[in-house]
Amino acid sequence: MKLFAYLKGDKVIWAIMMLLSLLSVLVVYSAVVTLAHKFKQGNSEYYLIKHFVIIVLGFGIAYVFHKIKYTVFAKVAQIGFILSVPLLLYTLLRGVSAGEASRWIEIPGIGLTFQSSDIAKIMLLLYVARVLTVKQDALQEFKGVVKLLLVPIGLICALILPANFSTAALLFVNCLCLMFIGRVRMKFMLYIIGACVGFAILLTVVVLNFPDAIPRGRTWKARIENFISGDTKTNYQSDQAKIAVANGGVIGKGPGNSTQRAFLPQASSDFIYAIIIEEYGLLTGVIMLFLYMVLLFRGIRILRDTDKTFGGFIAIGLSFSLVFQALINMAVAVNLFPVTGQPLPLVSMGGTSIWFTMAAMGIILSVSKSNEDTTAEKLETI
Amino acid sequence: MNANSHLADRKYIIGGFFILVAVIYIARLFYIQIIDDKYKLDAQNNAFRYITEYPVRGYIYDRNGKLLVYNEASYDLMVTPKETKGCDTLALCEVLQITKEDYLKRIKKACQAPNSPRKQSVFEKQMSAQTYAALQEKLYRFNGFFVQKRTVRKYPKPIAAHLLGYVGEVTKEKAEKDPYYREGDYIGISGMERSYEEALRGKKGVQIAITDVHNKVVGRYMDGKYDTLAIPGKPLFCTIDMTLQEYGEQLLRGKKGAVVAIEPSSGEILCLVSSPTYDPNLLVGGKERARNFTKLYYDSLNLPLFNRALQAMYPPGSIFKLIDALIAQRDGLIFRNTSFPCHGGYPPMGGKPKCHSHGGVDLPGSIATSCNSYYSYVFRAIVDQKKYPKFKDGYNYWRETVQSFGPGTNLGTDLPYDKPGNVPSVKYYNKVFGENGWRSNTIVSLGIGQAELTLVPLQMANVVATIANRGYYYTPHCVKGVGYEKKQDQKFKEKKYVSVQGETYYTNVIDGMQRCLDGGTATASKIKDIVMCGKTGTAQNPHGKDHAVFLAFAPRENPKIAIACIIENAGFGGTWSAPIVSLMVEKYLKGKITRPEMEKRMLEADLINGKNLLHEKH
Ligand SMILES: [Zn+2]
Repeated sequence: MKLFAYLKGDKVIWAIMMLLSLLSVLVVYSAVVTLAHKFKQGNSEYYLIKHFVIIVLGFGIAYVFHKIKYTVFAKVAQIGFILSVPLLLYTLLRGVSAGEASRWIEIPGIGLTFQSSDIAKIMLLLYVARVLTVKQDALQEFKGVVKLLLVPIGLICALILPANFSTAALLFVNCLCLMFIGRVRMKFMLYIIGACVGFAILLTVVVLNFPDAIPRGRTWKARIENFISGDTKTNYQSDQAKIAVANGGVIGKGPGNSTQRAFLPQASSDFIYAIIIEEYGLLTGVIMLFLYMVLLFRGIRILRDTDKTFGGFIAIGLSFSLVFQALINMAVAVNLFPVTGQPLPLVSMGGTSIWFTMAAMGIILSVSKSNEDTTAEKLETI
Repeated sequence: MNANSHLADRKYIIGGFFILVAVIYIARLFYIQIIDDKYKLDAQNNAFRYITEYPVRGYIYDRNGKLLVYNEASYDLMVTPKETKGCDTLALCEVLQITKEDYLKRIKKACQAPNSPRKQSVFEKQMSAQTYAALQEKLYRFNGFFVQKRTVRKYPKPIAAHLLGYVGEVTKEKAEKDPYYREGDYIGISGMERSYEEALRGKKGVQIAITDVHNKVVGRYMDGKYDTLAIPGKPLFCTIDMTLQEYGEQLLRGKKGAVVAIEPSSGEILCLVSSPTYDPNLLVGGKERARNFTKLYYDSLNLPLFNRALQAMYPPGSIFKLIDALIAQRDGLIFRNTSFPCHGGYPPMGGKPKCHSHGGVDLPGSIATSCNSYYSYVFRAIVDQKKYPKFKDGYNYWRETVQSFGPGTNLGTDLPYDKPGNVPSVKYYNKVFGENGWRSNTIVSLGIGQAELTLVPLQMANVVATIANRGYYYTPHCVKGVGYEKKQDQKFKEKKYVSVQGETYYTNVIDGMQRCLDGGTATASKIKDIVMCGKTGTAQNPHGKDHAVFLAFAPRENPKIAIACIIENAGFGGTWSAPIVSLMVEKYLKGKITRPEMEKRMLEADLINGKNLLHEKH
């Protein structure tokens, strides 16, 4: 393929991005077919075209990012991480004034909205990767770990938490994983995990008993209760998802033939995996899972090959974050996890989120590109 | 080195963990798909039900705000055969008073194309109020059944059937082409119901409900996000005068023909009668409708469904002389005092067409006496005039001028299916007689409104409205306001000028028309205190007795009504059509009838079944 000649970095990752994007176009196409068929509503092509444009622009973003030398991101992260605090704060307060949990910020003038947590997520992971590389000495003491890692991570997660619990929790676990790989001492890790388990228990108790004490407490309570009780009526959504999976069969019912889409309120984002299995079959579902796994192991490979550990940490941190999110989304669809509202990275419909995912991919590719360069340099020197 | 291998271990721990998760997922997916059959069953059970909310069809009012059409509620029992498992069939049969065999037959029909076991179709149409009440109580026992509320048309008076048209089930083709309609929906099929369908019908609402295995509604799809509310249809405020329409229908009872009356100053159709007619209540949805329709449709003797006022193309006869007189005057070919010889016919062609030896009458006199010879001269003068060295150009000129009055064109009225009539083309005559086989004398009978020339009654009324206006008309229409905001198509407010303009030309013709009732061919139909101007005509009918035509407007100054009447097989226009027009004009202008004997004679005459009171007298 000539196209690959222009693309630097890990070709396997590029291929995964393309395959997943292709899948997302297929899924949006089915959604359009169903909507157009059932409700005869106009502007059905609109969604398809809009999604296609978003994907193409997304690839543009990934392309631009992968051309940038990844060390630049270290500097950007230092400032960006600090800037993300007021951004999150603004989103939160604006949400409070509107009387609801708010996740979105509108860019004035062009009408685009984005989730401030999408930016904060990338910035935090870049920040943690940098600290793990540069401040290794200070991290030998628990005090250093707390000051340099736990406080900043806790602050960002705490700011995301009121509006989007699952994203905050996911990000936190993600950071822990990165710390784990980033040579933070095992003893410290155990302290932190112990503290987290304690906090989680406390939070569950509070939510279940005093749901009104926390914003969105009621929603969380309902979700947890539904998941635990397994009551068929309240667990309506997961049942519908299981029906979708059960009826997809190995090769699926074909595009646009999903009946369950109608019963699943978030068919194009939260429950997209179930719909994909219903329409494109178990085989496609397993292939998707495989693609995400490959993505993860390419991240691990980059870490292995890299001399400069900062790049490796970035790559593993970001690929973890994407794969982890994907696994959570799938877990919801197969009813192994309560409904969280996490989209499937690169596949779910949803404007600017796709661009942030693409940016993250671009950064990973940038690291893999510099690996290639150094390998080439080494070969030349020999 | 140690640190690095430690690092390697750690990342593979995470990697291994993810693989484990992936394996769990795959196992889980297989479990749901292959081992656990609970959800496969469920998939069959989920079903949508589209609950259509039909809007109320718009009412229709006459020009004085009197109700012409309204609605009554009706209830259809719908069935989805696939969902009838567990239905208390016996109880249902009892409520509907049908046998078990009937039940099975109907279910079978509901399963066959174009219906489908999975789709809802009508089980019982238009149940009575009592049946509906009895059914409603037990409906929960009748799985797969539900009641669809609709409305059917009702008519306070059994009149104006052709004008209003009727509503019926949409055809399969239409339902496929137009996404608004689904099979079984109602649609306006003819008349105003058809041309104003979009305004009258309103917009359907749909609720999408989710039902469980017991056919119980368990929720609304996406919290009603895709539900829509029904928007009621708009009322029509039409131009018809209900009293005049009813009177016209009474007068035409027992006769075949049509009467169309127009208000010249607006183009508003005051009445549009086509006889024989039918009671519009006969064609109101349900079982009865189909039976009645078949009966009316196959009545080949009377053709009651045929709207003669818009579709029957009659030779206009002598009324056409009015147009000839106007054209010839404009071209300076005749003047008020111009006279032509008449020796019981048109002398240059050996006394054909025939006439009554008038001789020496002037222009108004020629109209009052309807001299055939006079208009044979006039017609040839127009066609052979010097301006057009080739007579075919002259003929084309005559034809185009005639068409500006409406004949041979679709007027663009707001009623469907109007016919254009016919003014033959040069091409047509070339074909009939050969390129060089005809001259102006060959087609001279066109000048007196005969031969291939045809008009529909609406066009005749429009011609007389144009003369009443002295040279222009408004496109005839029967609706002056759609919806409470009384919207009207702008095209009905535009003056259309015909090709002949000039006050004197019209005055001369109108003088003749007035004389027609003052000692002319329609003297017997003169109305006391009202100056009516009219013209008789006899339309040649090759299949039998001639058709009687009369058109008129009144009063002479500021005309309020222009009217045309044609009675089939009634002979001379002055005998039948003129009195009917005269009575209707009097009724409209005075609100009462001063000539009861004339009215009685007209009302009682039954020309269809041969009860002709005039002939009985002889
Ligand atoms: Zn004569």
